[in-house]
Amino acid sequence: MSLTKDFIIDELKNQIAGLEAKTKKQTVGKVLEVGDGIAKISGLSDLMMSEMIEFKAASGEVIYGVALNLEEDRIGAIILGDYSAIKEGDEACATRKILQVPVGEAVIGRVINPLGKALDGKGSIETDTFYPIEKIAPGVIARQSVNTPVQTGIKAIDSMIPIGRGQRELIIGDRQIGKTAIAIDTIINQKGQNMKCIYVAIGQKESKIASIVAKLEQAGAIDYTTIVLAGASDSASLLYIAPYAGSAMAEYFLDKGEDVLIIYDDLSKHASAYREISLLLRRPPGREAYPGDVFYLHSRLLERACKLSGKYGGGSITALPIIETQSGDVSAYIPTNVISITDGQIYLEPDLFYQGQRPAVNAGLSVSRVGSAAQTKAMKKVAGKLRLQAAQYRELAAFAQFGSDLDADTKAKLRRGKRLYEIFKQEQYLPVAVEKQVLIYYALANGLLDNIPVDKIIEFEKGVFEYADNMGSEILKEIVDKKDLDEKLEAKVKKLIGDYIDTLDYIKK
Amino acid sequence: MKISPKKYAQALLEAIGEKKVSEIKEVIKKFVEIMQANNNLSQINKVIEQFNKLWNKKQGIIEAEIISAKELDKEIVKLLNSYIIKLTGAKEAILNKKVDKNILGGVIIKYKDIIIDGSLRNKLDELKIKMIK
Repeated sequence: MSLTKDFIIDELKNQIAGLEAKTKKQTVGKVLEVGDGIAKISGLSDLMMSEMIEFKAASGEVIYGVALNLEEDRIGAIILGDYSAIKEGDEACATRKILQVPVGEAVIGRVINPLGKALDGKGSIETDTFYPIEKIAPGVIARQSVNTPVQTGIKAIDSMIPIGRGQRELIIGDRQIGKTAIAIDTIINQKGQNMKCIYVAIGQKESKIASIVAKLEQAGAIDYTTIVLAGASDSASLLYIAPYAGSAMAEYFLDKGEDVLIIYDDLSKHASAYREISLLLRRPPGREAYPGDVFYLHSRLLERACKLSGKYGGGSITALPIIETQSGDVSAYIPTNVISITDGQIYLEPDLFYQGQRPAVNAGLSVSRVGSAAQTKAMKKVAGKLRLQAAQYRELAAFAQFGSDLDADTKAKLRRGKRLYEIFKQEQYLPVAVEKQVLIYYALANGLLDNIPVDKIIEFEKGVFEYADNMGSEILKEIVDKKDLDEKLEAKVKKLIGDYIDTLDYIKK
Repeated sequence: MKISPKKYAQALLEAIGEKKVSEIKEVIKKFVEIMQANNNLSQINKVIEQFNKLWNKKQGIIEAEIISAKELDKEIVKLLNSYIIKLTGAKEAILNKKVDKNILGGVIIKYKDIIIDGSLRNKLDELKIKMIK
């Protein structure tokens, strides 16, 4: 017993003797004014841009800030945390560090704030790895064009607007129209797809996040998902850094050569938060009172989404930013900015939504500029002209309302289109596997559904999926493995669907 | 245009230049008149503060604050004085001495916006952090 005691004491003595306490040289400043999450500081003459500043409040509490404005004789900084504890005249120290967040495997399955503090009551985040929140995106040499699909599990998107790993696809639409639903469905569908997911909630209601977490837990999707939450009640500075923090966490997995899906929900609130900060820092307002660099704000964030070439690890970050429009106005400042930055958009339309067409994807206005390169051959074969068909149908349907006689060709198009839109309908939280999507689109493209009444399509779809699970599981597996629909396989698929149709009694033969 | 206290101080410094004491009186009188005409006399305290800084900079004088746990004897003050002059490259140092028992021992030097913390309190704090790790 005494032996261990002696050992401990000796060890302590050694440690203390070996400890050479250095004299600390530090630059300090004085808080001139503070308020609204902003502090003006004098001194700190050699501070770096976006360097962390340590405020020592009178209560002894340490609060961090980030320098955003370096002026001739003062510094403008945002305060991350409770700014009411900082008083005028308090000391502010330079830390010689750019703001960084904890990253690593420890953040998976957790709900954390943008500074890496746990919000889910499961204990603190244990990791030694930190990444700076701002990082220059990979350059031309390191990149590669997208070649692997992200399966969203949403029939309308995987067929018409395919998304590739490393792509940036905007989800845009009015409030309450299912933007987040698409994102959450996509996360749920990533199970077993070797994908890490990061959901960055910017200015969202905490109740909404609680229900999302519950849903992800129920679907078993939380095991590969991180939620970065800057809630509606958090300060604008936390909202501002949230997407960059999320991106830093994604970059950790990117550097390990893994694939990451990151969702920014939503960037309109992020722009508003940045506007608030900029106006408080007295930067000159521009259009819609946003500062001049609001484009750079989003472009530097979304540029960090990438597909790296094999030499650089081959990882990818797929970004799904979300933008909320005001009564369908996509020509406002922020929506046009983000539309021009991203590689395509999924436009959700209120009219479709209220007609019961959910997800309310508008086929005409939604595009994916690079994703079709990543689509599997099987899907390309059955869904190649789908977007055109869907857009044409909408036009024809409006035209055909005037009634009277239509020629046979138009009638056929209308019949096909109606069934197509029935297939697009999909319930929330029920993603459909890609091989099943191929199955149903094959049936549509080859006219196998033309005899089925429109109101029975959903029932038919459910039935044929069940039938395929039971009777044709090896055919489904073949589609997954081959990723292509050759003639032999096509015949098998045709027979499978034909067999199922024969069992139905509501079909006019 | 708004004239900042810094600009006033700079103007005054330039106006004085290398003039003799008798001439300086005249310069200051005119300077005050200009300030009055511009309705800026309320800022005189800030101007003086800025002038002090600029003057010190020009003459190579540096103001430093020294905090220690107890009164320092003259020998040490002299050493500190030459140390600060060597550190900053100034010609002359003005030392404001302060006593703060909370730092336990050692000395803290503050000049411009730099703090050199050589106090015992700081060393103990660092020891604490290392031992927790």
